[in-house]
Amino acid sequence: MAFIECRDLHFSYSEESGEVLHGVDLDIEKGSFVALLGHNGCGKSTMAKLFNGMLVPTSGTVTVDGIDTAMEETQLDVRRRVGLVQQNPDNQLVAGIVEEDVAFGPENLGIEPAEIRRRVDAALKAVNMYEYRDHAPHKLSGGQKQRVAIAGVIAMETMCIVLDEPTAMLDPRGRQEVMDTIRYLNREKGITVILITHYMDEAVQADRVVVMDGGNILTDGDPRTVFAQVELLKRHKLDVPQATELIYRLNAAGCRISGTPLDEDECVKAIAEYLKLG
Amino acid sequence: MLSDVTMGQFFPGKSVMHRLDPRIKMCLTVYFIVLIFCSKNFVTLGATILMSLLGVVLSKVPLKLYLKSMKPILFIVVFTGVLNLFYGTGDPIFTLGFIHITRNGIVNSIMIAVRIVVLILISSILTFTTSPTQLTDAIERLLKPLALLHVPVHEFAMMMTIALRFVPTLLEETEKIMAAQKARGADMESGGLMQRIKALIPVLIPLFVSAFRRAFDLATAMESRCYHGGEGRTKMKVLHLSKVDYITLIVCVLYLAAFITANILLPAAIVR
Repeated sequence: MAFIECRDLHFSYSEESGEVLHGVDLDIEKGSFVALLGHNGCGKSTMAKLFNGMLVPTSGTVTVDGIDTAMEETQLDVRRRVGLVQQNPDNQLVAGIVEEDVAFGPENLGIEPAEIRRRVDAALKAVNMYEYRDHAPHKLSGGQKQRVAIAGVIAMETMCIVLDEPTAMLDPRGRQEVMDTIRYLNREKGITVILITHYMDEAVQADRVVVMDGGNILTDGDPRTVFAQVELLKRHKLDVPQATELIYRLNAAGCRISGTPLDEDECVKAIAEYLKLG
Repeated sequence: MLSDVTMGQFFPGKSVMHRLDPRIKMCLTVYFIVLIFCSKNFVTLGATILMSLLGVVLSKVPLKLYLKSMKPILFIVVFTGVLNLFYGTGDPIFTLGFIHITRNGIVNSIMIAVRIVVLILISSILTFTTSPTQLTDAIERLLKPLALLHVPVHEFAMMMTIALRFVPTLLEETEKIMAAQKARGADMESGGLMQRIKALIPVLIPLFVSAFRRAFDLATAMESRCYHGGEGRTKMKVLHLSKVDYITLIVCVLYLAAFITANILLPAAIVR
C-alpha cells in the first residue's frame, strides 16, 4: 500500500465556482521525492491541502498511511504524518524566537518538555539553522525562514513534507539553500517529499514528476520520461528544462541529437558527442 | 525609521534580574508599585526607592537607558507635581492672590512626582530584563486560575505571542507600502492634519488587505502543525523557580514586614 493514496479525487471550493479537480488518482510511495508541476490554477495547491486534510475531497478519498483524511477524529494523526510548508516565508512562523517556533508543533502534540528540546535541536541541525536558534525570525533571510518552517514540520517527526512553491519568493541563493535541505531530508532522513513548483530545474531533481493540467494528471513518471514528451508539454503551454528545450530546438532544426538531457552538463555532453560523430 | 521602535525595549543579558523567573518579576513589579504608593512617610518612601535602585543596579542595564525611558513622561511628572502644589490643605506658607501654597501641598507634590518616576523605573526594570516571550509566558501561567472561570487565558496569550511576532513584519510592510505610494506620487509630508490623515488611507488599505492574507496563511500553518487550542498542549521551556527566586522572595517578604511597621510607627509626612 502506498503512503498517500488518492482515489478518484473530485474537489470544488463551492457549488458555483466549479470543480478544481476532476477525478485524480495518485499514489505517493514512502521515501520518494515527487515534484508536482502545472500552471497556476491547475489544482496543485489544492492537492497540497488535500494531502494533509486541510481540505477534504468533495468526492473520492485521500488516505495517509491507511488513515482517511476526511475523518474528523483522526485529523491530528494525519497532520503529524504529513506536514505542510507554504510559499510565503513570513506568514507561517508563529513565535518570536526561532527555537520556540520550531517547538510549536511538538508542543501542540503534548510531548514532554525534554523530548521537545531534543527534537527541536535535531530539527534545527537537520536544516542547518542550529546556530540561529535564539534569533528573531524577522531578522533572517527568506531562505533561512523557509528552513525554519521546514524544521518546524520535521520537529513533529513527520514522515512526509508537502512544500507548496517554497522557493517562489526567494532569491537564487535562498532557493539553493531550500533545495539542498529538501534533498538532504529525502536522501538522509528518508522523509517523503512532495514538491509543488514552477521551476523546471527544481523538478528535475525529483525521482518522479507529476504534471497536472486543468484538474487532471497530464503525465507522470521519472523526470527523463516526462520531459522527453516535449510536444505534449508544449501543447499544454508548459515549460521544459532549458537544456531539454535547446536539444529539442536543435533537433527541430535538423540536428539528430539523442537522449533527453535535463541539465547543462548533460546538454554539453550530448552536443559534444553529436559534434564528434558529425 | 519605524522599525527603530523596539517592542518592549528588551535588552538581552545574563544579570541576576535577567535570570529571575518572569512570574516573580511581574509580581514584584506590582508589589513595589503598590508599596511606593502606600508609603506614608519619607523613610518608607526612601527605602522603597533604594530597593528599586538596587533592582536597577542588579539589572546591569546602563543607567542612561533608564533615564531615556523617563524622558517622555517628564512633562507628566512636572505637570502633576505643579498641580498638586496648589491643592494642599493646612496653613498657607506663601500666598499670591488666590494661590495658597501650604507645607502639605509641597510635600504632596514632591511625593507624587517621586512616585511616578519610581513607577516608570520599576516597570522599566521588568521590560528591560524580560523578553516579550517570557512576559507572555508569565502572564499565561499567572492567569491560569482564571481559566476555571472560562476566561480564555491560553487564547489571550497566543494572541499576544502572534501580535509580538508580527509587529516587525507589519512595520516593515508599512514602510514598503509608503515607499510604493510615494513612488506613485502620494504626498504624505505636507498639508494640514486632515489632509495628512487622508493621505494615510492609501497606506492603510493595502496594509489591512495584506494583514488578512497573512492571517489566512498563518491559520493554515498553525492547523497544519496540529494546533487545536490550549488543551493537551505542553511547553518546551517550563518555568521553574531557582535559588535566586527564593532568596528574592524571602527578602521581599521581610521588606514588606519592615515597611508596614515603619509606615505605622513613624509619623506620616502629610499632616491631616
